[in-house]
Amino acid sequence: MKIGIPKELHQGERRVASTPEVVAQLSKLGFSVAVETAAGTAASYTDDAYAAAGGEIVASAKELWAQSDIVLKVQAPENNEVTSLRSGQTLISFLWPAQNPDLLKQLTERGVTAIAMDSIPRISRAQEMDARSSMANVSGYRAIVEAEEHFGRFFAGQITAAGKVPPAKVLVIGAGVAGLEAIGTAKSLGAIVRAFDTRPEVKEQIESMGAEFLMLDFKDEDGSGEGGYAKVMSKEFTEAEMQLFAEQAKDVDIIVTTALIPGKPAPRLITAEMIKSMRAGSVVVDLGAEQGGNCELTVPGELVVRHGVSIIGYTDLPSRMATQSSQLYATNLLHLLAEMTPNKNGEIVLDMEDEVIRGATVCSGGKITWPPPVPKNPPAPKKVVPVPVPAPAVVEQKKSVWGPVVTVVIAVLALLGLGSVAPADFMVHVTVLVLASVVAYMVVWNVSPTLHTSLMSTNNAISSIIVIGALLQISSQDNTVKWLAITALAITSINIVGGFAVTHRMLKMFRKSS
Amino acid sequence: MINTGVVSAAYIAAMVLFIMDLSGLSSQQTARRGNWYGIAGMVVALLATILGVVTNNYLELIAALIVGGGIGLVVARHVQMTAMPELIALLHSFVGLAAVLVGYAKFGDTSSQLIGIDLTIHHIEIYVGILIGAVTCSGSLIAFAKLSGRISGKALVLPGRAPFTLGILIVLIWFGWEFVNQSAAGGGILPLLIMTAIALIFGIQLVMAIGGADMTVVISILNSLSGWTAVTTGFMLNNDLLIVIGALVGAGGAILTTIMCRAMNRSFVTVLVGGFGSAGGKKYSSAGIEEDGEVTAITAKETAALLLEAKEVMIIPGYGMAVAKAQQNVAALTSTLRAKGVNVRFGIHPVAGRMPGHMNVLLAEANVPYDIVFAMDEINDDFPEVDVSLVIGANDIVNPSALDEPNSPIAGMPVLTCWKGKVTIVLKRSMATGYAGVQNPLFFKENTRMLFGNAKDTLQSVLEVL
Repeated sequence: MKIGIPKELHQGERRVASTPEVVAQLSKLGFSVAVETAAGTAASYTDDAYAAAGGEIVASAKELWAQSDIVLKVQAPENNEVTSLRSGQTLISFLWPAQNPDLLKQLTERGVTAIAMDSIPRISRAQEMDARSSMANVSGYRAIVEAEEHFGRFFAGQITAAGKVPPAKVLVIGAGVAGLEAIGTAKSLGAIVRAFDTRPEVKEQIESMGAEFLMLDFKDEDGSGEGGYAKVMSKEFTEAEMQLFAEQAKDVDIIVTTALIPGKPAPRLITAEMIKSMRAGSVVVDLGAEQGGNCELTVPGELVVRHGVSIIGYTDLPSRMATQSSQLYATNLLHLLAEMTPNKNGEIVLDMEDEVIRGATVCSGGKITWPPPVPKNPPAPKKVVPVPVPAPAVVEQKKSVWGPVVTVVIAVLALLGLGSVAPADFMVHVTVLVLASVVAYMVVWNVSPTLHTSLMSTNNAISSIIVIGALLQISSQDNTVKWLAITALAITSINIVGGFAVTHRMLKMFRKSS
Repeated sequence: MINTGVVSAAYIAAMVLFIMDLSGLSSQQTARRGNWYGIAGMVVALLATILGVVTNNYLELIAALIVGGGIGLVVARHVQMTAMPELIALLHSFVGLAAVLVGYAKFGDTSSQLIGIDLTIHHIEIYVGILIGAVTCSGSLIAFAKLSGRISGKALVLPGRAPFTLGILIVLIWFGWEFVNQSAAGGGILPLLIMTAIALIFGIQLVMAIGGADMTVVISILNSLSGWTAVTTGFMLNNDLLIVIGALVGAGGAILTTIMCRAMNRSFVTVLVGGFGSAGGKKYSSAGIEEDGEVTAITAKETAALLLEAKEVMIIPGYGMAVAKAQQNVAALTSTLRAKGVNVRFGIHPVAGRMPGHMNVLLAEANVPYDIVFAMDEINDDFPEVDVSLVIGANDIVNPSALDEPNSPIAGMPVLTCWKGKVTIVLKRSMATGYAGVQNPLFFKENTRMLFGNAKDTLQSVLEVL
């Protein structure tokens, strides 16, 4: 099948859906790749590089759309692009079906199979295809770069001959992928970083990036919603939160807000009052700008200065790092295509049984397939971790309930049977044995694993209590019995002394670090 | 000299002291005191018996104590910590041998005046006591020979092992019947001797069939068996002290066996049936995926550089560290890195080495503080934060196919997930497989580096660079 990479038409879009490196990989999967001329120029990928990687450079968009079976794009198609799509073609790009119902309808009517990169389910297996996370990652990084550009000071504190420079204080609100990346970037530039999130479980992640987690002194309310995103919080919580932000605004130099709730306008977290209270020269970067903004004064897509504070509302941060974003996005696409090409023969298979493919496919064969049915086992990532951690597949063997029951019944019957024939004396010993076994069971489970070897050598020493048997016989008049007993005594003595001594020697070695 | 009541009281004191010994082993701080409790218990039990029961032959008694004790002390002083598994196996065999001897002595002792069911029970006790003692004795000797390398560690499974075992069982029961019948009439030595021979052979084939990787389990089973030996002897002699102590040891060994089996995700029965790691028997083939790939070798110098850059280092030792006697170098490496501010920790798999707790002992011997040595469950979630994992002479316990290759013979065995860390450096002599005979995909992972050579020498050169 032929993959087409058109030049992006969206105003100001610099990204491209594939890089020369990925084109080479796609060829390995059996695809032929056509690239529109100058498609990657804005992202610093030249036509020559694509050609060298095995791509065919096509002069016009029209030609490219006509010959491609699969079209890879970054942005949702523009109107004239939609009209050049035909039945049987596959389109893979960001589509935002919830926000663009008209587009979805058009694509369906044209019989296109459309796969929305924004609808890839957020499960561990699909993390390598999660384009939203890779773009958020770039946004988080770029947010700090933009902030530094408009902030007149160093991030890191310095003591120079010309005086002392205090470090910049950065507040990051929302510790998703973008927030964590912003924390990491600000920290590596030397700033003091604080972070806030409504989900308490991200505290560790925040701290692992070197930031201070701002705790809200509030009754336990967990802000974790489905799929690792945050949810809308109660009124009381929001008030307490605003109080915290108002205090922080007076203290910090830079605020990066990344608070987004799926399908809802971005929550208003930074009021005009707070901006007023910030020092002149401070910067606010609002990553929620596209959804209306976390800051009251944000103008989506623009940089404005209000009350001496620069408020950055750019909605195209990934595009501002086009080379990097294109590389990440192209790799996400490559992983998706690799998943869809199980035979590596350049033919894609739309496996609607596959949770990932099913989730991302918004229309196919003239039918709308969005939203997907709720998956059988809903994704668990309440704790969204930036690194994929596949659950260890420890095979738990199912134990039958009947096993222990049968064992107990047999044991009881055996004891009863024994008791019915054995003399009372014998049963007393059995009592002792059972009780001692129970005591031993309790005691030995508490033995520290470190000391298992010592347990064994101790066992060795004390099991030579069998020496008593030898001693009981040693006074026998029968010479054979006597010598048997003496030999047994000598042997067990080796054990007693050897066992205790070697245990002692081992235990002496264990020491604590000073 | 002292009456029976006092002897019994002393025995009770000894039981309590022994229980206190074992409960002391719950932590390093209390373990040393616990050992003294155990010694005290033994002294009390011995003194009470010698003073209360023994009536003559004191000279031979003291001579035997001194000779045996002397040998024990010398051995305990001089054994190398790497050789601990062998020593413990050997000591197990002594317990078994002693039980056999005591059993025969009891049989030869005609002073007891038992009749009817009591006599039958007594004879069954003698028979079972000698049987278990003999199996423990010969099984432990084979384990000793395997562990010390005197015979091959490979599993040697007899053809038709299951019917053979069943046959032996039937024969043993039949001779037991014969023995009880004949001994009631005053004879019975012949069936007893034949049974002993058969039990010895049974013990040999039992352990011969078990491969090197399962040695930790075997040694725990033998440990347990030596306890049950004491229990049967206790029944034979009507002595509760032996029963209690035997039960302590027997249950202890049984629990160790359970822990070890769990750590390998294997059931007790499959271990005993054997064949794991058998030579050329069944070759593991995963569903068409041939694990062949490029390994990335690394030099000692590069290893040192990686370690110096790291903040979090995890060391995973295995049996190979014991074989190479590299624990001193590992300890030196640890203290050097810690002095440079690197957080070095150890991750110990429950079945690392050839004996439960083997690695802990070796590290302790080399003066590695025990509070940086962690059990698998404590650290397995930390690997994503680890910069460098150093795998020293371990193989199966870091094999990812245990988790993601359902056809693998070690599937489901919990393993240390070092490949989730940034870099794993594997110290290994060659590309040979581990005891389970399974290829390890870890070696072919992108973030794995192989440092070939004898662990002791390579660590020495790493240390020199540091």
